[in-house]
Amino acid sequence: MNQPELIAQLQQGNEQAFTKLVDDWQDMVYNTALGIVQNEEDADDITQEVFIQAYQSISSFKGDAKISTWLYRITVSKALDHEKRKKRKKRFGFVQSLLGSGDEEHIHPVLFNHPGVELEKKEKARELFNALKRIPEKQRIAFTLHKLEGQSYQEVAEIMNTTLYAVESLIGRAKANLKKELIKYYGTLKDPK
Amino acid sequence: MKNIENIHKLAEDALSSIEGIKRATAKPFLLTRIHARMNKQTESLWEKAGWFISRPAVAFAGLCLIILINAAVIVSKNSSAQTSVAEQTTQAPTDEFSYTVATIYDYDNNQP
Repeated sequence: MNQPELIAQLQQGNEQAFTKLVDDWQDMVYNTALGIVQNEEDADDITQEVFIQAYQSISSFKGDAKISTWLYRITVSKALDHEKRKKRKKRFGFVQSLLGSGDEEHIHPVLFNHPGVELEKKEKARELFNALKRIPEKQRIAFTLHKLEGQSYQEVAEIMNTTLYAVESLIGRAKANLKKELIKYYGTLKDPK
Repeated sequence: MKNIENIHKLAEDALSSIEGIKRATAKPFLLTRIHARMNKQTESLWEKAGWFISRPAVAFAGLCLIILINAAVIVSKNSSAQTSVAEQTTQAPTDEFSYTVATIYDYDNNQP
Protein backbone atom coordinates (compact mmCIF):
# COMPACT_ATOMS: atom_id res chain seq x y z
CA MET A 1 0.00 0.00 0.00
CA ASN A 2 1.60 3.30 -1.09
CA GLN A 3 1.21 6.57 0.77
CA PRO A 4 -1.79 8.11 -1.11
CA GLU A 5 -3.65 4.78 -0.83
CA LEU A 6 -2.89 4.56 2.87
CA ILE A 7 -4.09 8.14 3.42
CA ALA A 8 -7.29 7.45 1.46
CA GLN A 9 -7.92 4.28 3.50
CA LEU A 10 -7.26 6.12 6.75
CA GLN A 11 -9.65 8.89 5.76
CA GLN A 12 -12.33 6.26 5.16
CA GLY A 13 -11.75 5.01 8.70
CA ASN A 14 -10.21 1.71 7.64
CA GLU A 15 -9.03 -0.15 10.74
CA GLN A 16 -6.34 -2.12 8.87
CA ALA A 17 -4.83 1.08 7.52
CA PHE A 18 -4.62 2.48 11.06
CA THR A 19 -2.93 -0.73 12.24
CA LYS A 20 -0.39 -0.34 9.42
CA LEU A 21 0.21 3.28 10.34
CA VAL A 22 0.94 2.32 13.95
CA ASP A 23 3.08 -0.70 12.99
CA ASP A 24 5.18 1.23 10.50
CA TRP A 25 5.82 4.38 12.50
CA GLN A 26 5.55 3.50 16.19
CA ASP A 27 9.31 3.23 16.79
CA MET A 28 10.00 6.49 14.95
CA VAL A 29 7.40 8.34 17.03
CA TYR A 30 8.51 6.70 20.29
CA ASN A 31 12.23 7.35 19.71
CA THR A 32 11.62 11.02 18.85
CA ALA A 33 9.43 11.53 21.90
CA LEU A 34 11.97 9.72 24.07
CA GLY A 35 14.78 11.95 22.82
CA ILE A 36 12.81 15.06 23.74
CA VAL A 37 11.19 14.11 27.07
CA GLN A 38 13.92 11.68 28.21
CA ASN A 39 11.52 9.44 30.08
CA GLU A 40 10.27 6.07 28.80
CA GLU A 41 6.80 6.18 30.35
CA ASP A 42 6.19 9.74 29.16
CA ALA A 43 7.42 8.82 25.68
CA ASP A 44 5.00 5.87 25.63
CA ASP A 45 2.15 8.18 26.64
CA ILE A 46 3.08 10.69 23.95
CA THR A 47 3.29 7.92 21.32
CA GLN A 48 -0.29 6.92 22.11
CA GLU A 49 -1.44 10.54 22.00
CA VAL A 50 0.28 11.08 18.62
CA PHE A 51 -1.54 8.16 16.98
CA ILE A 52 -4.88 9.17 18.49
CA GLN A 53 -4.36 12.70 17.17
CA ALA A 54 -3.33 11.29 13.77
CA TYR A 55 -6.50 9.14 13.69
CA GLN A 56 -8.71 12.09 14.62
CA SER A 57 -7.15 14.62 12.26
CA ILE A 58 -6.41 12.44 9.20
CA SER A 59 -9.37 14.03 7.40
CA SER A 60 -7.55 17.38 7.41
CA PHE A 61 -4.30 15.85 6.10
CA LYS A 62 -4.00 16.92 2.47
CA GLY A 63 -1.04 14.74 1.59
CA ASP A 64 1.23 17.69 0.74
CA ALA A 65 3.89 16.32 3.13
CA LYS A 66 5.09 12.78 3.78
CA ILE A 67 3.21 10.86 6.48
CA SER A 68 6.47 10.59 8.42
CA THR A 69 6.96 14.39 8.32
CA TRP A 70 3.37 14.89 9.49
CA LEU A 71 3.85 12.38 12.34
CA TYR A 72 7.17 13.97 13.33
CA ARG A 73 5.44 17.35 13.58
CA ILE A 74 2.67 15.96 15.79
CA THR A 75 5.25 14.15 17.95
CA VAL A 76 7.41 17.24 18.47
CA SER A 77 4.39 19.36 19.30
CA LYS A 78 2.97 16.77 21.75
CA ALA A 79 6.37 16.24 23.39
CA LEU A 80 6.88 19.97 23.91
CA ASP A 81 3.35 20.34 25.34
CA HIS A 82 4.08 17.46 27.67
CA GLU A 83 7.31 19.10 28.81
CA LYS A 84 5.52 22.37 29.53
CA ARG A 85 2.90 20.55 31.60
CA LYS A 86 5.65 18.74 33.48
CA LYS A 87 7.52 21.97 34.17
CA ARG A 88 4.36 23.49 35.62
CA LYS A 89 3.95 20.43 37.87
CA LYS A 90 7.61 20.68 38.86
CA ARG A 91 7.16 24.29 39.91
CA PHE A 92 4.17 23.24 41.98
CA GLY A 93 6.27 20.38 43.42
CA PHE A 94 8.95 22.87 44.39
CA VAL A 95 6.40 24.99 46.24
CA GLN A 96 5.14 21.81 47.93
CA SER A 97 8.70 20.90 48.95
CA LEU A 98 9.05 24.32 50.56
CA LEU A 99 5.93 23.49 52.52
CA GLY A 100 7.43 20.11 53.39
CA SER A 101 5.20 17.84 51.29
CA GLY A 102 7.09 17.70 47.98
CA ASP A 103 8.18 14.67 45.99
CA GLU A 104 11.99 14.58 45.80
CA GLU A 105 12.02 12.92 42.35
CA HIS A 106 10.14 15.85 40.82
CA ILE A 107 12.77 18.31 41.96
CA HIS A 108 15.89 16.23 41.26
CA PRO A 109 14.99 14.02 38.28
CA VAL A 110 17.11 10.93 37.63
CA LEU A 111 19.58 10.99 34.70
CA PHE A 112 18.32 9.46 31.49
CA ASN A 113 19.77 6.36 29.82
CA HIS A 114 18.84 6.00 26.16
CA PRO A 115 18.37 2.26 25.41
CA GLY A 116 19.99 2.57 21.98
CA VAL A 117 23.39 3.80 23.20
CA GLU A 118 26.31 1.36 23.19
CA LEU A 119 27.18 0.05 26.65
CA GLU A 120 30.65 1.61 26.90
CA LYS A 121 29.28 5.03 25.91
CA LYS A 122 26.32 5.01 28.32
CA GLU A 123 27.87 7.28 30.94
CA LYS A 124 29.01 9.92 28.46
CA ALA A 125 25.66 9.80 26.66
CA ARG A 126 23.89 10.31 29.99
CA GLU A 127 25.85 13.51 30.52
CA LEU A 128 25.11 14.62 26.95
CA PHE A 129 21.37 14.06 27.41
CA ASN A 130 21.52 16.01 30.64
CA ALA A 131 23.22 18.91 28.84
CA LEU A 132 20.64 18.66 26.05
CA LYS A 133 17.95 19.71 28.53
CA ARG A 134 19.71 23.02 29.06
CA ILE A 135 19.94 24.29 25.47
CA PRO A 136 17.21 26.30 23.65
CA GLU A 137 14.15 24.36 22.48
CA LYS A 138 14.60 24.74 18.70
CA GLN A 139 18.26 23.77 18.85
CA ARG A 140 17.34 20.73 20.93
CA ILE A 141 14.63 19.62 18.48
CA ALA A 142 16.89 20.04 15.44
CA PHE A 143 19.75 18.18 17.17
CA THR A 144 17.44 15.36 18.33
CA LEU A 145 15.90 14.86 14.88
CA HIS A 146 19.29 14.89 13.19
CA LYS A 147 21.34 12.86 15.66
CA LEU A 148 18.82 10.49 17.24
CA GLU A 149 16.53 9.96 14.28
CA GLY A 150 19.21 10.28 11.61
CA GLN A 151 17.19 12.80 9.61
CA SER A 152 19.06 14.87 7.02
CA TYR A 153 19.19 18.66 7.36
CA GLN A 154 16.65 18.94 4.54
CA GLU A 155 14.22 16.58 6.30
CA VAL A 156 14.69 18.41 9.60
CA ALA A 157 13.93 21.66 7.77
CA GLU A 158 10.67 20.17 6.41
CA ILE A 159 9.63 18.85 9.82
CA MET A 160 10.41 22.13 11.56
CA ASN A 161 8.90 24.12 8.70
CA THR A 162 12.01 26.20 8.23
CA THR A 163 14.89 26.66 5.80
CA LEU A 164 17.92 24.45 5.30
CA TYR A 165 20.17 27.33 6.31
CA ALA A 166 18.24 27.80 9.57
CA VAL A 167 18.64 24.11 10.41
CA GLU A 168 22.40 24.21 9.71
CA SER A 169 22.64 27.18 12.01
CA LEU A 170 20.46 25.57 14.71
CA ILE A 171 22.48 22.36 14.77
CA GLY A 172 25.79 24.27 14.74
CA ARG A 173 24.66 26.38 17.71
CA ALA A 174 23.28 23.28 19.47
CA LYS A 175 26.68 21.58 19.25
CA ALA A 176 28.48 24.70 20.50
CA ASN A 177 26.05 25.13 23.41
CA LEU A 178 26.23 21.46 24.31
CA LYS A 179 30.01 21.61 24.37
CA LYS A 180 29.86 24.69 26.60
CA GLU A 181 27.46 22.95 28.99
CA LEU A 182 29.59 19.80 29.08
CA ILE A 183 32.78 21.79 29.74
CA LYS A 184 30.97 23.59 32.56
CA TYR A 185 29.82 20.24 33.96
CA TYR A 186 33.25 18.53 33.76
CA GLY A 187 34.86 21.68 35.15
CA THR A 188 32.83 21.34 38.35
CA LEU A 189 33.96 17.74 38.90
CA LYS A 190 36.96 17.32 41.20
CA ASP A 191 38.45 14.45 39.24
CA PRO A 192 36.93 14.32 35.76
CA LYS A 193 37.49 10.95 34.06
CA MET B 1 46.57 23.21 31.57
CA LYS B 2 46.46 19.47 31.26
CA ASN B 3 43.20 19.51 33.17
CA ILE B 4 41.62 21.98 30.70
CA GLU B 5 42.68 19.78 27.80
CA ASN B 6 41.23 16.80 29.61
CA ILE B 7 37.91 18.59 30.14
CA HIS B 8 37.71 19.53 26.44
CA LYS B 9 38.42 15.93 25.47
CA LEU B 10 35.72 14.65 27.82
CA ALA B 11 33.22 17.10 26.33
CA GLU B 12 34.13 15.97 22.80
CA ASP B 13 33.78 12.32 23.85
CA ALA B 14 30.37 13.01 25.34
CA LEU B 15 29.28 14.80 22.16
CA SER B 16 30.28 11.85 20.02
CA SER B 17 28.82 9.27 22.42
CA ILE B 18 25.53 9.13 20.49
CA GLU B 19 27.19 8.42 17.14
CA GLY B 20 25.73 5.18 15.86
CA ILE B 21 22.88 5.26 18.40
CA LYS B 22 20.14 2.71 17.72
CA ARG B 23 16.48 3.66 17.56
CA ALA B 24 14.58 2.87 20.76
CA THR B 25 11.62 0.59 20.17
CA ALA B 26 8.11 1.22 21.41
CA LYS B 27 6.70 -1.03 24.13
CA PRO B 28 4.69 -4.04 22.90
CA PHE B 29 0.90 -3.97 22.37
CA LEU B 30 0.89 -0.27 21.56
CA LEU B 31 -2.13 -0.63 19.27
CA THR B 32 -4.17 -2.29 22.03
CA ARG B 33 -3.28 0.52 24.42
CA ILE B 34 -4.20 3.14 21.81
CA HIS B 35 -7.63 1.51 21.28
CA ALA B 36 -8.20 1.28 25.04
CA ARG B 37 -7.33 4.95 25.41
CA MET B 38 -9.63 5.97 22.55
CA ASN B 39 -12.53 4.04 24.13
CA LYS B 40 -11.80 5.56 27.51
CA GLN B 41 -11.86 9.05 25.98
CA THR B 42 -15.38 8.59 24.58
CA GLU B 43 -16.66 6.93 27.77
CA SER B 44 -15.34 9.63 29.98
CA LEU B 45 -17.23 12.54 28.38
CA TRP B 46 -19.80 12.46 31.19
CA GLU B 47 -17.00 12.07 33.72
CA LYS B 48 -15.38 15.16 32.24
CA ALA B 49 -18.65 17.09 32.54
CA GLY B 50 -18.96 15.98 36.16
CA TRP B 51 -15.37 16.89 36.84
CA PHE B 52 -15.91 20.33 35.25
CA ILE B 53 -19.01 21.05 37.30
CA SER B 54 -17.37 19.90 40.53
CA ARG B 55 -14.39 22.22 40.10
CA PRO B 56 -14.43 24.67 43.03
CA ALA B 57 -14.43 27.76 40.80
CA VAL B 58 -17.29 26.46 38.65
CA ALA B 59 -19.28 25.21 41.66
CA PHE B 60 -18.81 28.52 43.47
CA ALA B 61 -19.77 30.53 40.37
CA GLY B 62 -22.87 28.34 39.93
CA LEU B 63 -23.86 28.83 43.56
CA CYS B 64 -23.40 32.61 43.25
CA LEU B 65 -25.55 32.59 40.10
CA ILE B 66 -28.36 30.68 41.86
CA ILE B 67 -28.23 33.09 44.85
CA LEU B 68 -28.26 36.06 42.45
CA ILE B 69 -31.29 34.73 40.55
CA ASN B 70 -33.14 34.10 43.83
CA ALA B 71 -32.31 37.59 45.08
CA ALA B 72 -33.49 39.12 41.79
CA VAL B 73 -36.78 37.19 41.96
CA ILE B 74 -37.37 38.23 45.61
CA VAL B 75 -36.61 41.89 44.84
CA SER B 76 -38.91 41.96 41.80
CA LYS B 77 -41.74 40.24 43.79
CA ASN B 78 -41.38 42.78 46.61
CA SER B 79 -41.54 45.77 44.28
CA SER B 80 -44.65 44.42 42.49
CA ALA B 81 -46.30 43.74 45.88
CA GLN B 82 -45.59 47.32 46.95
CA THR B 83 -47.12 48.67 43.74
CA SER B 84 -50.31 46.67 44.25
CA VAL B 85 -50.57 47.86 47.91
CA ALA B 86 -50.22 51.46 46.72
CA GLU B 87 -52.89 50.90 44.06
CA GLN B 88 -55.18 49.36 46.66
CA THR B 89 -54.78 52.35 49.04
CA THR B 90 -55.78 54.81 46.32
CA GLN B 91 -58.58 52.59 45.04
CA ALA B 92 -60.19 52.02 48.47
CA PRO B 93 -61.40 55.62 49.21
CA THR B 94 -62.54 55.93 45.61
CA ASP B 95 -64.79 52.92 46.06
CA GLU B 96 -65.84 53.97 49.57
CA PHE B 97 -66.99 57.52 48.76
CA SER B 98 -67.94 56.98 45.14
CA TYR B 99 -65.79 59.75 43.70
CA THR B 100 -66.85 58.91 40.22
CA VAL B 101 -68.81 61.74 38.65
CA ALA B 102 -71.93 60.79 36.81
CA THR B 103 -71.89 62.34 33.41
CA ILE B 104 -74.79 63.64 31.44
CA TYR B 105 -74.67 60.55 29.30
CA ASP B 106 -75.55 58.38 32.28
CA TYR B 107 -78.90 60.26 32.69
CA ASP B 108 -79.63 60.52 28.99
CA ASN B 109 -79.15 56.85 28.34
CA ASN B 110 -81.69 55.64 30.88
CA GLN B 111 -83.68 52.87 29.37
CA PRO B 112 -87.41 52.72 29.96
